[in-house]
Amino acid sequence: MSVFYRNFERHAHGAGLKGHATHYCPGCGHGIAHNFIGEAIEELEIQDRTIAISPVGCSVFLYYYLDVGNTQAAHGRAPAVAIGHKVANPNSIVISYQGDGDLASIGLAEIIQSAQLGIPITVIFVNNAIYGMTGGQLAPTTLMGMKTATSPQGRSRMMGEPLRMAEMIAQMEGPVYVERVALYDNKQRNRAKKAIKKAIQLQKENRGFAFVEVLSECPTHLKMNTAEAQNWVKEQMVPVFPLGVKKDITVEPWFEMQAPDFNPQKLVDQIGAVSDAAPKFAGGQFPAHLHPEDIALKLAGAGGDGAQTAAMLIAQAAVNEGFDGTHIPSYGPESRGGTSYADVHVARSEVLSPAAANPHILIAFNAPSLNKFGPQVKPGGIVLYDSSVVSEPPALDPEVKLYGIPFAQIAVDLGSMLVKNIVALGALQAASKLFPPETFLEAVRRALQHKCAMIPLNEAAFEWGQKAVMHLGDMPE
Amino acid sequence: MLQTRERPKPVVLPAYCKGCGRCVSACPQHCITLGTEINPESGLIPVEIDLEKCNGCGLCFAACPEPYGLTAYDPLMDLDESYLKFPDEDSSTAPVPQEISGETLPLPPVEPLMIKGTYAAAIGALLAGCRHFFGYPITPSTEGAELMAKLLPNLNGVFVQAVSEVATVNMMYGCGGAGMPCMTFTSSPGFSLMLEGVSYMIGAEVPGVFINIMRGGPGLGNIGPEQADIKLACRGLGHGNTHAIVLTPDSPQEMLDLTMLAFELTFKYRNPVVLLGDGYLGQITGKVKLPERMIKPGIPSWGVYGDDMHRRNLICSIQLSEPDLEIHNLHLNEKYQRIIESEQRADCFHCDDADTLIIAANTPARMAKGAVQVLRDRGVKAGLFRPITLWPFPIDILAPLLPKLRQIVIVEASNGQLEDELRLALSHAEIIDVPPISHVRHFGGVLPQQQEIIDRVLETIDTEVTS
Repeated sequence: MSVFYRNFERHAHGAGLKGHATHYCPGCGHGIAHNFIGEAIEELEIQDRTIAISPVGCSVFLYYYLDVGNTQAAHGRAPAVAIGHKVANPNSIVISYQGDGDLASIGLAEIIQSAQLGIPITVIFVNNAIYGMTGGQLAPTTLMGMKTATSPQGRSRMMGEPLRMAEMIAQMEGPVYVERVALYDNKQRNRAKKAIKKAIQLQKENRGFAFVEVLSECPTHLKMNTAEAQNWVKEQMVPVFPLGVKKDITVEPWFEMQAPDFNPQKLVDQIGAVSDAAPKFAGGQFPAHLHPEDIALKLAGAGGDGAQTAAMLIAQAAVNEGFDGTHIPSYGPESRGGTSYADVHVARSEVLSPAAANPHILIAFNAPSLNKFGPQVKPGGIVLYDSSVVSEPPALDPEVKLYGIPFAQIAVDLGSMLVKNIVALGALQAASKLFPPETFLEAVRRALQHKCAMIPLNEAAFEWGQKAVMHLGDMPE
Repeated sequence: MLQTRERPKPVVLPAYCKGCGRCVSACPQHCITLGTEINPESGLIPVEIDLEKCNGCGLCFAACPEPYGLTAYDPLMDLDESYLKFPDEDSSTAPVPQEISGETLPLPPVEPLMIKGTYAAAIGALLAGCRHFFGYPITPSTEGAELMAKLLPNLNGVFVQAVSEVATVNMMYGCGGAGMPCMTFTSSPGFSLMLEGVSYMIGAEVPGVFINIMRGGPGLGNIGPEQADIKLACRGLGHGNTHAIVLTPDSPQEMLDLTMLAFELTFKYRNPVVLLGDGYLGQITGKVKLPERMIKPGIPSWGVYGDDMHRRNLICSIQLSEPDLEIHNLHLNEKYQRIIESEQRADCFHCDDADTLIIAANTPARMAKGAVQVLRDRGVKAGLFRPITLWPFPIDILAPLLPKLRQIVIVEASNGQLEDELRLALSHAEIIDVPPISHVRHFGGVLPQQQEIIDRVLETIDTEVTS
């Protein structure tokens, strides 16, 4: 009995009889199941590693009794809690103990997921066909015709057939061992004890998920004495819930988890941080000719136009030059073909408001974007649009400088439509002088560091974008 | 030499026997009979055992549901003692739990990252020592979870996609209860589903970090940015007497910094911490500097870790006795009070001489910051008071600013949930002399814009001048 506390201090502070007696009604099967778990823990020498998860229901106070690590879970969630414990310390032996309302009703999703996952935990499922703690209501395992507090005329078809959990669990891939046992006589108790030990031993060996359903007596709510209740389980429950092994497969140990890695250099590498700063080309000169402190840009097109990538490169370029930069994407519901626009800010010291409702610069990849956002550009601002798809630009504020550049046509001529956003960046550079060309090109090269073969094409796209603006002969001062 | 070992025979301890009679039918020798005398201590009728025919088969032990109902006969035993006593003995054989301390490790110097808010929060969690993630995908929080799914396996961490948010929070309850830093990313409807578990975590004093990238509601609402869950996070964390520190970042940098802070606070107070972002904040990319140090967590003394050192521990939110539960609630209240006194945080932008104070959090605070700058350029003494903790509301930082104010404008992407927090905080602080409060509110995924904030401030000033 060493696995039981020597004093049940948590049971009403261990006062009087409660220090050594359970809270269960006379004849209840839970105590027997507790004893079998305690004996298995002792025989397997795993007391220090064991964590018992107490459920909600009559066995909510399992933690009064077993001298192991104890966690009490919310109704039905014991298997989820067990998963949390198991992955927190894979060396722990986690036993989820649940009744029929807990496991087969409110906790169905959690038991199914944990079984499907096959994670090495042990689930002891005590099925007594009734809700005990709440006072004898219908359980998912209540037999047809059985009268309970919430089926006073007997369980009818409207309440569904009783749920056979062991069979349900056994047909899943995850579990390695599923058995249904009972407690009504010496032979069944002997089998139950062995099954519980095996289910825990399989976890000790790291084999996988093991599930033992224990048919148990609730004399109180069956309104029977213990002998009658034992007989009732044998005569009435067993035909509905056949005893025996439902699944027993031999598998290799499930997983061997390494201790979590806290190597600082590895973490830095994993998150893609680098120690070498991007070279600066602007000499600390903020492009104040566009705005003294904070420049707002909007890039707009259809999904797939590359507006977001170009926006990201502009923000990155700003940060590389020692300024602040932000980028907010806004997508339509589709990832391709929907509307896609990006708000970008480039600020001398700090971007205050990152939205760009009235941008200084607009890059529009199609006519709807130009029509929608063109009128919002600030007076004196710059609008670049793709003249390969916009034949007739709308009338904008006369103070807005308008550049029609065939982004798409240039990209196609270069061999890939994908680089039209880089053509636009080149055009942006030439038209706005936001940053020196090398600033953009460096940002492009760094973004493509794992796709180096793409760099020459992108560089060419950028240059052709610049040239297209210069060719217009409309360079701002 | 032949050794004989006698098998133990049962002795019934009458006070612990509930007289169920399972042992009666279990005994093949018919040694045990249902009793006839009521035990004065238990009020029940224990069985009676006649050991004369007993061959020590032990089947009665296996049939007895009471751990101390039947005990092995020992000739030295004082059978007059009706129940066992261990007067000087500890109830558990486990050692007294000790903390296994963590450490902080220097991080190599690196260049700032350009990353989106959800990524920044995920990286903040990794730097804070989190190697366990549980979650259920929900827009617009998924990218944070996706980055964790990508990185954690490479760091020997664990990513579990739970069957639901309900399962998620209970996995956190288990993992956090083991003493390990763990987290989730979620968004409004998912956060609603987690609240039962959050209440359990608060009751059982389990740490865990919840990053809620809020979206438009109620119901399925939409995936646009809204501050729709301020009320839930500050006033509605499930059933019972619950509070948690609520952090509100306004940039990718703060998504990282405050996530790291969240892990520190969640262990400091053994209480969940909620970080509220909004859909924009999740998506916005900005410059993020990494800290100089990272955390390697230990195991706290109270964790149910599954080792000998922590065997004695219990994670539990049930307290059956009313006085015990009241004591536990008083303990929680004392903790909440300590948090209120120590953890108020706010960022003040041009507040010192302000007579017009804009109050905003998350992304709306960015629009408000832009508005303050424009108003200052126009000669209006505007300032931005940005709560970084919504619970506790930083009233102690706000209070000294109030006497100078002519007006307060609350800017929020919700139906007044931030304003409610302000008004509650003013009320609790018994501050009666408050300047007129007006607001700019949007919801449904629409954010307040800089220009309308400016307009609202000027409109109020104009009204004042006219009247």
